[in-house]
Amino acid sequence: MKRRSFLGVLGTIFGVTAFGSVAYPLLRYLGPPQAKIDAGKQSFKKADVGDAREIVFQNTPAIIINRPGKGYIALSRVCTHLGCLIDYDRKSKKLICPCHAGFFNLEGRVESGPPPKALTTFPLRVEGEDIIIG
Amino acid sequence: MWQKLKDGIEIRIGLTDLIENRLRQYRVPSDTNIFYTLGIVTMAAYVVQAITGYFLLMYYVPHSEHAFRSVQDIMTIIPFGWFVRMVHMVAANLMVALLFIHFISIFFMGSYKKPREITWLAGGLLLLVTLAFCLSGYLLPWSQRSYWATTIVSNLPTAFPVIGDALANLLRGGDSVTGVTLTRFFSLHVGFLPPVFLSIVGLHIFLVWRIGLSVPPLSQSAEEESEWTEFRHATYSRSYPFYPNFLLKEVSMIMLFLAVTFFIMSFMPTLFLPEAATTPADPLNTPADIKPEWYFLAPYQMLKMIPNKFLGISLQIIAIIVFLFWPFFDTRAERNIMKRPLIFGLFLVLLALWFLLTYWGRYSA
Ligand code: HEM
Ligand code: FES
Repeated sequence: MKRRSFLGVLGTIFGVTAFGSVAYPLLRYLGPPQAKIDAGKQSFKKADVGDAREIVFQNTPAIIINRPGKGYIALSRVCTHLGCLIDYDRKSKKLICPCHAGFFNLEGRVESGPPPKALTTFPLRVEGEDIIIG
Repeated sequence: MWQKLKDGIEIRIGLTDLIENRLRQYRVPSDTNIFYTLGIVTMAAYVVQAITGYFLLMYYVPHSEHAFRSVQDIMTIIPFGWFVRMVHMVAANLMVALLFIHFISIFFMGSYKKPREITWLAGGLLLLVTLAFCLSGYLLPWSQRSYWATTIVSNLPTAFPVIGDALANLLRGGDSVTGVTLTRFFSLHVGFLPPVFLSIVGLHIFLVWRIGLSVPPLSQSAEEESEWTEFRHATYSRSYPFYPNFLLKEVSMIMLFLAVTFFIMSFMPTLFLPEAATTPADPLNTPADIKPEWYFLAPYQMLKMIPNKFLGISLQIIAIIVFLFWPFFDTRAERNIMKRPLIFGLFLVLLALWFLLTYWGRYSA
């Protein structure tokens, strides 16, 4: 190998190593550790039939709904379209996103509007006066 | 005394020579219209942003618990703080408007054609950087409007399969908008974007200066139309000096810009300040009427109407790329748009569509 092409190869190797060793830490730097308050289960107070209670479960705004005839369900309030928070409309028995008029039914499934998929459901258990989620 | 000072400076810098040879003898075509001043006016708008932004920095606190309060204090307690902030806000909007008009007039006059393709590309990048300024600045007051508009925008990348979520989280520094997002956007807004903007402006203005202003297509002479086969500075059959003639035109347009800025501040102070901008951010409550700023309404409405998120966003990325590299697609030498009915028609349709979507986005649910 000629001296000049050897230096070229060497320079490339060092250059790529240097670049990679800088790019990787910087990329990692941009993604800070998430505050994981993984409490596992959390318990909440019950709601009356037909009512809903807004809660925060593991950092996610969520809602517990006491559906008439069907019992409790816990859903994330984060709209699957672009992340606005849905509201419970007691009259129409629907969950409505104020941003682009996304409508969900009380199972969390999309009824109309731009959201691409159903709201996240959290597993839930009723224990005496408490509702346990997680 | 004054004369002595002048002589002293003259010996050391050679100002007379600079003015005589670089400014007075620098020629611009005598058919330049007022649209030729828009670039400088936009630059003046940037300078206004840099100065007012610098003053805002003295009281603004980039922390989710203090940001809203600090902006309210600037508005109500700090003497003339409202003045500084209102100039920053109004001029930011006008700066985007200026860039839009600049771009439309360049397009109509065909000034992007050979040899000015790179000048166009740099200008297109400047428009994108300015929009990034607006987007990052928008979050800083930490109001309901800031918070939820940023939530929506930072979720746009999630339309991309596989890397979408990671990209959105990288942008926000987490899976929702938090204080981490605020400091991130703050550092973009005041630390990263200004030097990027200034470097691209440097290239843009250097190229304009080096090649020389274009002659409007309708008054082009045969000689001026001749093919560009090697580098040359543009030559004109009829021209006048840059200084003082053209500079005066530019300065009076800058004054018009300042007049509009202060007119809006005095007589339409809430034009860019809806109610959601004066309520503190509440991550547990999305307000009813979150609308992006007027310049984002058209793309926003388009996203709402296209049922497939991925398709909607891909279309917009393609549109941006076509826009940036347009001079490399449209290589016909003909600069008179009246002789290109197809392009002319298409552009008018696109403009009309933009206005329609903006109007629709503003008034639809
Ligand atoms: C092209 C240049 C710029 C544009 C388009 C721009 C745009 C904006 C916008 C739209 C806001 C939100 C305004 C509001 O709602 O109050 C803002 C806020 C802010 N900007 Fe800029 N900006 C620019 C340059 C700068 C520079 C150079 C600095 C500092 C060196 C700066 C510092 C700030 C600060 C501290 C705030 C938050 C205070 C507040 O919102 O009143 N900006 N900017
Ligand atoms: S964010 Fe809910 S419909 Fe768009």
